[in-house]
Parts: sequence; structure tokens; C-alpha cells
Amino acid sequence: GKVPAGNILASAPSEKNLESWRELGCRTTHCNLEVVQRSTLVFLATKPHILPGVLEEIRPAVESHHIVVSLVAGVTIQTLQRLLPPWTKVLRIMPNLPCVVQAGAMVFSRGTSAGDKESALLKNLLSSCGLCEEVPESYIDIHTGLSGSGVAYVYLFAEALAEGAVKMGMPGALASRIAAQTLLGAAKMLLETGEHPAKLRGDVCTPGGTTIYALHQLEKGALRATVMSAVEAATNRACDMAKD
Amino acid sequence: AGVLAAHKITASSPDTDLPTVSGLRKMGVNFTVSNKDTVKSSDVLFLAVKPPIIPFILEEVGPDIEARHIVVSCAAGVTISSIEKKLSTFCPTPKVIRCMTNTPVIVREGATVYATGTHADVEDGKLLEQLMASVGFCTEVEEDLIDAVTGLSGSGPAYAFTALDALADGGVKMGLPRRLAVRLGAQALLGAAKMLLESEQHPGQLKDNVCSPGGATIHALHFLESGGFRSLLINAVEASCIRTRELQHLADQEKISPAAIKKTLLDKVKLESPSLSVASASKVSLFTNKSKKN
Repeated sequence: GKVPAGNILASAPSEKNLESWRELGCRTTHCNLEVVQRSTLVFLATKPHILPGVLEEIRPAVESHHIVVSLVAGVTIQTLQRLLPPWTKVLRIMPNLPCVVQAGAMVFSRGTSAGDKESALLKNLLSSCGLCEEVPESYIDIHTGLSGSGVAYVYLFAEALAEGAVKMGMPGALASRIAAQTLLGAAKMLLETGEHPAKLRGDVCTPGGTTIYALHQLEKGALRATVMSAVEAATNRACDMAKD
Repeated sequence: AGVLAAHKITASSPDTDLPTVSGLRKMGVNFTVSNKDTVKSSDVLFLAVKPPIIPFILEEVGPDIEARHIVVSCAAGVTISSIEKKLSTFCPTPKVIRCMTNTPVIVREGATVYATGTHADVEDGKLLEQLMASVGFCTEVEEDLIDAVTGLSGSGPAYAFTALDALADGGVKMGLPRRLAVRLGAQALLGAAKMLLESEQHPGQLKDNVCSPGGATIHALHFLESGGFRSLLINAVEASCIRTRELQHLADQEKISPAAIKKTLLDKVKLESPSLSVASASKVSLFTNKSKKN
């Protein structure tokens, strides 16, 4: 809600993606050049292999007042700067899926010519979609492993929780909703209390009670190590893909 | 440990050749081979025998137990009610306290808990607490928690020794001389434990404080987690606690005739016995008679 829809111009090669933009009240076009010519802040949201072509296309129209923000996975700032005029203000951002419900987690890094002003603008703009933090570029792949892919880990966990409940006799739909709410509530408490998760976990565990029995099962399954390995695997994969 | 004068302590053991005996003698503790004498000259009686021996000891000293005596049992799995039951044939209101301690009392870093019996007063409990606090941490608990305490801090030192042995192996593998590896490993655990005890922070937070991003420690921790380190420790505490309960249950069920007791006792005493001694301490007014001996 920070920018009037009419001020946003979106472009795509075909009509199918543009419909949703128009519904929001944005203007649309099929011409990338037009977007660059008529805008100050330009977001690049293509698939990685398409990007070089697009950059080639818009390069002539890029000027010193432009701010180019790339959401393209695996394309480094170095690459972006190489394919654009040398003094271009470039930033690279990695969002995650829940941005669509304004509960996203985004990290961004700035290129050589981007300054505090650009950084503040981006952060300000995107905070309405969730958490938005500036980081060194090396953290971006880690963010992918933690939060980009991380969303899927949570879905997996939610599914498993619900299945456990179904096994014990609860109907699936209800179990799923409760599982989701449980995750939401726990996350909310973490964010709002600022307490260490270990402390919050301890607070839930009454001596000899249900929770500690369950946690023992999780520890037996080496859940922690598995999750660590998952984040590691996704991060490494992101690094590898970036090299291609 | 400085709370009680050594000469106010009497120890008895049937076997005088034990290393514990000469150790106690060196400290200036009065020594006898007669449990009866010990009881007569003391107010607080520590029963420091193996659990199966407890019923025999109680039979033996029972007739000499008076209202003033506080009977403290450190025997794992032996319930207050079993002791009270045995003694009630001799004394109508026996004062019984059950305690569970651990081996590091030797270096004054013990962990002790106690539960008071039906006829033991608050002051009796406090007396014991004051005595045991001189060799480490001591607190009162409900009796039904003592098995869990056994699993955690009773057996705990063994878990620590095992960990230290392995840590030292790790050090040796990576090139350290054994002695140095052991010394450093022990110091690391000691230091960590001290930090935790002195800090308000959760151990999870303290762990995080050591783990710099992408550093050595977090890599190592990942290995620990992969091996189910945490669950192994939980399993260990659980197993020890459950076994304590099992043994207690077995002990409760045992019904042996007094004659058989006496015979078995004499035989066992001569054959087994590293920890077979009954030590006791006189009651002193703790606010005036603190002695610096030992």
C-alpha cells in the first residue's frame, strides 16, 4: 500500500502474467524498454537464463537515476553490474513465498554504486511485505537455504504434525488447521518475546509431562541435525547453481 | 569439610583393612568395629552401606535407636517407608531422612538431595542440609523425585567421565598428548558448568554464544546432533532412573529370614566390601560449634 497502483508499470512477453497486475490497477506493457524509460525503480523478475537477454535489451535506456533491483535467483551483483552500464545503481534481493501474504522474509545487498538512500528506499518499500534486511551478498544463498526453501520445510512439518493427529483419531482438515495455527502462534511468540527458542521450549515442558516425552522422540530422530543438513544442502545448491 | 570437628565423628566398619578406614583414621575420626557403639555415641547416623545390606544393619542397630537419633540413609532405592517400617518395631517414632548424593562430594562439589520421613522435623532436615552443603550443593525434594535425581546427578559423573574420555581421544587423534588432552577436556567441562551455574542464561543461549557463524564449533555441533547426542543423554538419565525404581521394587519384595540375614551378612562383609562403613556424626549446635578441622 506504499505506492499507488497507477504508478506501477509491469511488463511481460505474454498476456497471461499481466492480467493479475491489471486487476490490481497497474499499467502493463509488453515492452521492457518502456518500463525502464518510464520508471525510476526497476525490478527484474525473470528466470535466470532469460536475464542476460533482458539486460542486453534494456541497457541502452538505463541512466544514472535508475535503481535496478534484481530478484533473479543465483545471479550475482557482479554479473548484473557487468551486463549494465558501470555506474548503475544495482541491488539484489531474495524474497520468500509468504511475501504474498505480507509475512515474507527478504534480504538484499547493494552493488558498488548503490548508496544508503537506495538501500533505505528499498527497505522502506518492502517492509510492508514482511521482514526486510540488508545483508552482505554472501548471506543471500544462506537465506535461500533457511527461508527461501525453508518455507517448504515448514509445510512438511505441518503435514507431519497433522498426520500424527489423524493417526490418533482427529479428522484431517481440522488437524491441518490446528497444525498451521500452532506454527503461526509459536512463531509469533518467538518474534514478539525475543526469547531464545530453547527457553520458550523449556517453558512448555512441565516435568514428566507430555511435551518432554514428545521432544525425546524428536531428539531420537535427530531432527535438529536433519534440519541443519537441509539448510546446508539448499544453501550449497544455491551456490552451485549460481556458478552455472 | 570444616563444618564438624573430626573427633565428633565416629565411623564403624566390620573390616578394618579397607583404605577408607585408614583414610578416616588419618582425619582424626573415631573408629570402631561395632555398629552398636557408633549408635550409642551419636545423634546423627549415616547408613553408608549397599542397599541389600540396609535391612540387616537396621535389624542390628534397631534396639539401640532412640527418639533423639536421626537415621540418614544414602542407599539407592531404599525408601523411607521401608526404613521406618523396620525401625518401628524398636522405636515408635524413628526419625528418618533419605538422601541421594554423588561421588564428587569427595572434592566438595557434590550434588545432594534429601527427603524427610514422617517423624523428622524441619530442623533435622536443615541439619542434614547444612552438613551436606559443606561438600557441594544440597536441597530438599519430595521423595518421589529421588529416582530421577539418581538418574541425573547420581549417575551423572559417569556420563561426564565417559564424555571426557572420548573428548580426550578426540584431542589425541588430532595430535595432543594424552595428559594434556584429559586436562583440557576436564577444564572445558568444569568451566562450562561453572558458567552455566553462574549465569542467568539458558544453556542454549550460552551454546549460541560460542558458535560463530560458519565456524568450527557449529560444524562440530552438527556432528553431535547427527549422532543423536541429546537423545542419548535423555535415554541415559531415563534408564538410570527406571533401573533405580526396578531395584527398589525388587528390594521391597525381598523377604529374608533374620537367621539367613545374619549369616549372609557376615559372609558378604568379608568377601565384598569396598564401601562397607557406617559413619556417624554427633549433633552439634551449628551456630556456635563450627570447627575448622579437616
